[in-house]
Amino acid sequence: MNVQICKLTRRFGRALAVTGVDLQVDIGVFGLLGPNGAGKTSLLRMMATAVPPTSGTLRLLGRDPGVQRQRREIRRRLGYLPQHPGYYPGFTVTEFVEYFALLKEMPAARVPGAVATAVKRVGLADSSHARLRTLSGGMLRRAAIAQAIVNEPELLLLDEPTAGLDPEQRATFRALLRELGERATVIVSTHLVEDVGAACNKVALMDRGRIVFHGTPDDLSTRGAGNVIGDSPLERGYSAALAEARS
Amino acid sequence: MTAASAPVRTRSLQPRRRPGLAAARLARLELRHNAMLWMLPVTIGLFWFISYRKIMAAPPLWYVRASAFQTYVVVGFIVPVVGAAAWMGSREARRHVADLITTSARPRWARLLVTWAATTTWALVGYLICLAVVYGVTAHQASWGGPLWWPAAVVAASLLAYSAIGFAAGTLLPHRLTAPVVAIVSFFAVVLSTELITGSQSYWQISPVVSGPWDAGQDPGIATFYPYVPDLSIAQVMLLGGLAVIALAALSLPASGRRVRAGAAIVAAAGMVAVATAVRLAGTGTLDSHGQIAIPALHDAATDRPIRFTPVCTRTAIPVCLNPAFAVYKPAVAAALAPVLSEIAGLPGAPVRIGQVAAAYKQGPHNSVGVGPAGLPVSGGEYHILLPDQIPNPPLTVQELAGQVRSSTGSQIIATFLDLGRGSSPAQQAVAAAMAAEARVSVPSMLAIASPPVPRGSSCVSRTAPCAVIMPPRLSTAAEKASRRFAALPSVTQHAWLVRHLSDLRAGRITLAQLP
Repeated sequence: MNVQICKLTRRFGRALAVTGVDLQVDIGVFGLLGPNGAGKTSLLRMMATAVPPTSGTLRLLGRDPGVQRQRREIRRRLGYLPQHPGYYPGFTVTEFVEYFALLKEMPAARVPGAVATAVKRVGLADSSHARLRTLSGGMLRRAAIAQAIVNEPELLLLDEPTAGLDPEQRATFRALLRELGERATVIVSTHLVEDVGAACNKVALMDRGRIVFHGTPDDLSTRGAGNVIGDSPLERGYSAALAEARS
Repeated sequence: MTAASAPVRTRSLQPRRRPGLAAARLARLELRHNAMLWMLPVTIGLFWFISYRKIMAAPPLWYVRASAFQTYVVVGFIVPVVGAAAWMGSREARRHVADLITTSARPRWARLLVTWAATTTWALVGYLICLAVVYGVTAHQASWGGPLWWPAAVVAASLLAYSAIGFAAGTLLPHRLTAPVVAIVSFFAVVLSTELITGSQSYWQISPVVSGPWDAGQDPGIATFYPYVPDLSIAQVMLLGGLAVIALAALSLPASGRRVRAGAAIVAAAGMVAVATAVRLAGTGTLDSHGQIAIPALHDAATDRPIRFTPVCTRTAIPVCLNPAFAVYKPAVAAALAPVLSEIAGLPGAPVRIGQVAAAYKQGPHNSVGVGPAGLPVSGGEYHILLPDQIPNPPLTVQELAGQVRSSTGSQIIATFLDLGRGSSPAQQAVAAAMAAEARVSVPSMLAIASPPVPRGSSCVSRTAPCAVIMPPRLSTAAEKASRRFAALPSVTQHAWLVRHLSDLRAGRITLAQLP
């Protein structure tokens, strides 16, 4: 298992963001669904080694991120797209992706080729020399995705990756996710259930810091049978699972 | 998080990694996107506008130019360098890329050091351009000596420290206002750091703005008559290096492992020791007799020996000989002294030649410094003089210098020739006044030598305490009348009378009535 989580808790002051989460994820695309404030981003940030857990056990790619040397090894094999990634406006797309490739300690000789490939995969090859300040929101998002995948990560964590992408780009991105999920563990945090339905093999639903559902997208759709809230079977399953958890 | 089991072996990127090449690529990116690169034209423009012309207005003497360069660049570069460094230091937080960057494998301190190094590199590039221009032009203009590298090293160390302090401030207190606030605070800290200097034995002279004795100013005799003493510069480099190390060690404070923090603490402690040692050393500095700050623990006795040189002399009846570094002044000085020297040439006791000597310095109470010619005023028939540039003064143009040579050095020569001094006779004063008037030398300044409240050949220099007020002396009515009578004589008659009566006149055995 590339991700092994046991009774993971994260507290920010008095607020409990993640409460005793147990989760195991292997190769494939894993969807993390939930309403705003459910704790998805906090869970993802812990998996990205951005913040340490308050308690519980977390093992990533067979390593303990609490140990510095192992954390560094994890980070070399990690791709992460935060919800609000931020960027350096003076950098070109290529430079931005190259910068993160180098920070991820990719072998220097491999960097130019990997950067070109990543930029091409997100459909920014024509804008590779454009400065980030000149790009639209969707293009910036794709540049951020390119930096996440440039090191061919074994664990890819994406927080709201399709936010700001147009329908065509979202469809292309889902295809990319499926392709990446063949060799790596991809965890996608989103509140857009159609992304999960189109790309994920497994899905977990979070609410108030807990995982309230864990299964396949089909399982979730089945949960929605008879529920009237939602336009698609998956949305209905999502609403039903949430309602059940809150009842 | 726990380490319950050994890590699973996945494909390793380690064997193919070449850290040097990766760091070089990262450095290239940081160099291309660095705020200091954009500040460079502004910095160089400010240097040209504020500093360059003032430095170049000083005489083309290596020490004068180098020490002025140190002071101006240390002050002039601080705002852009600290500001740009703080801006770069706060970049990750300002651009909200902290989460992205935190989860990258490269250690925080290594990543930040590359950004800092790029910022510092651009600051040093700007500095080296300014240094190359100033030293290049000075090399072209100077008639003797060579570039002084210690002042240049102090400036380079200052830029390293500025950059490190600004960068650390930006990293640890990331905010849009950090850069301007830190830049302004640093500017005032450096500019005001000299305000507390009292005398040569002051801890505050460790300030990198100080390029020599702060009370006495720049002595052109340094690196011309005596070698440059780098004691203070060494202490300053030590201080600045220590500050830079402390600031850089602070970068690893947040979000670093225990080992990194322990290493940083050791480095910071070493920096603090360097800073404390440097300040302590500066406090033991004393003004040496050549106008430089000597620190006993760092002093090399070899720098006390005078520099050997062959003077450049005029081909006149009484040659005027200057240190080759001052060769540019030779025509002006010779022309200024010509009227005086033509009056005394051929008379008994007339100088064999006029020779420029080094200035001798003596620290007085508080901030006062006494400056006079080193050694005896006359030796072996050679009259020793100081050029006005050798006495701490604002820089002079060649014309101003010639005017001062005519009045002050001309007066000195006449006074020495007639053995004028405390207790000189009215007849001596009358003849001296007549000779001064004919040689277009200021009579009051001439007579001031005859009744000096301060030792002959000294000048009182003080930035804080007033020197003794010297009232211009006046001749008595009888002496003035005799002086006019003597001056009215044809020069041949004057000359003949002086040949016969000079020894009696010097001995004070001639009365006013006996003057022709």
